[in-house]
Amino acid sequence: MSTPLKLVKNLSDEENNYQDISKKKQKQPMVCYDKISKSYGDLQVLKKIDFDIAPGEKVALIGPSGSGKTTLARLLMTLEEPTSGTIKVDGELLWHQKIKGKKVKANEKHLQKIRGKIGMVFQHFNLFPHMTILDNVAAAPIHVAGIPRAEAEEQAISILEKVGLSDKFNAYPSQLSGGQKQRVAIARALVMRPQIMLFDEPTSALDPELVGEVLGVIKDIAQEGEMAMLLITHEMDFAKDVADRVAFFDEGRIVEEGKPEELFYNPRSTRLQDLLSRFRGR
Amino acid sequence: MTILYLLPTLLQGLKITLIITFLAMLLAFVLAFLAGFGRLSKFRVVRFLTAFYVEVFRGTSLLVQLFWIYFALPLIGISLPPLAAGVLTLGLNYGAYGSEVVRSAILAVPKGQTEAGIALNFSPWRRLRHIILPQAFVMMLPGFGNLQIELLKGTSLVSLITLADLTYQATILNASTMETTMIYSLLLVIYFLIAWPLTRGIRWVENRLSVGRY
Repeated sequence: MSTPLKLVKNLSDEENNYQDISKKKQKQPMVCYDKISKSYGDLQVLKKIDFDIAPGEKVALIGPSGSGKTTLARLLMTLEEPTSGTIKVDGELLWHQKIKGKKVKANEKHLQKIRGKIGMVFQHFNLFPHMTILDNVAAAPIHVAGIPRAEAEEQAISILEKVGLSDKFNAYPSQLSGGQKQRVAIARALVMRPQIMLFDEPTSALDPELVGEVLGVIKDIAQEGEMAMLLITHEMDFAKDVADRVAFFDEGRIVEEGKPEELFYNPRSTRLQDLLSRFRGR
Repeated sequence: MTILYLLPTLLQGLKITLIITFLAMLLAFVLAFLAGFGRLSKFRVVRFLTAFYVEVFRGTSLLVQLFWIYFALPLIGISLPPLAAGVLTLGLNYGAYGSEVVRSAILAVPKGQTEAGIALNFSPWRRLRHIILPQAFVMMLPGFGNLQIELLKGTSLVSLITLADLTYQATILNASTMETTMIYSLLLVIYFLIAWPLTRGIRWVENRLSVGRY
């Protein structure tokens, strides 16, 4: 990244933002991590994390590679199971369910019910290579939501137009650039209307000149407001523009969190100061 | 002149060879998928049983298996007609090899595909049906193509359990006419002529299914 962080402060904006956030916090959180830990053998990647995301809130996770940011998102998407602790989505337990008052491990049916509220965009796109772009986006409406094909394709077309891919319906993923692939992946997740969308380093696998188009699409979606977002990113300017709140991860813990201005202008921990100075230095 | 005399008998044998090839292929195909999935099952018993089947049939000789099913099974009360015994043995044997093709192709589909399916809330069955299998199937085709031809050639062994296939007829003709060179040359050509369209057929399916990819 060649552009330095824009260090402009706007106090009145900040106050408005603050009221905004506190209002949202009064409602039931969209996602609630409660003492979440995750270990792979001896390696503990998440250490008793407590973390909430309000409905509609945009939260950016920053931090060095291997600090546990991605794992936090993967636990929510049910791609990995927490070692201990609980996650609630919209007030309901995700990895557990209560049967006759006893907390037991969630079965596939329960997971599917909660998962419907969550969408995810991956670093490496993970498009379905055997399907056209249109089919990639229409597949979940057809096979998961059970919508008739014609209607599902209409939805897919309108959402692909929104991400600027109206001329690629019949192309296959292998025929697209990285930026186009990621925009298809965003459309594919959006079409299911999740209440929260997870972006796992959506631009890290892209050539530098393609980063902008993808960040632009994500910003547009963020401005529509309704949907909560968890943005895992190394793009500091982007995090500052889009996020209501930023959390800094290091070694499996949230070291610092707050409004983007606070974190980026007055980092308290030396680890965050180091990280930011490295980005500015580039 | 000799060809005209030899061909009708050989073609009679060819009919049996084709029937056995076709039926054994069907059986092998079904078994390959059953055992291929079985080895990936989350249940240990299923994994163990399918691994046992696969290793037994891969680890012993096809000819001995054929003799065992045709000559030894009757001694414990199960007699099969020669055609059934031939089809069963070939099907079980190539099904075992095929299961490895199925298993490795499914494992070769990148993990990100399963994860994208989970993120879009596909049920496990629909993930398999719409995301994993279409990609894995294309990867199975070269392996299946090889096995298909192996199976065709393997059918020549059924002549040893009294089935009047192509090889059997050739052996009989050889004994009565002594036209050894001509007969066995014809035999090679005929096997090749059946194998060729099989190879082309698989390639054709492969091309059709990999539209737009890579």
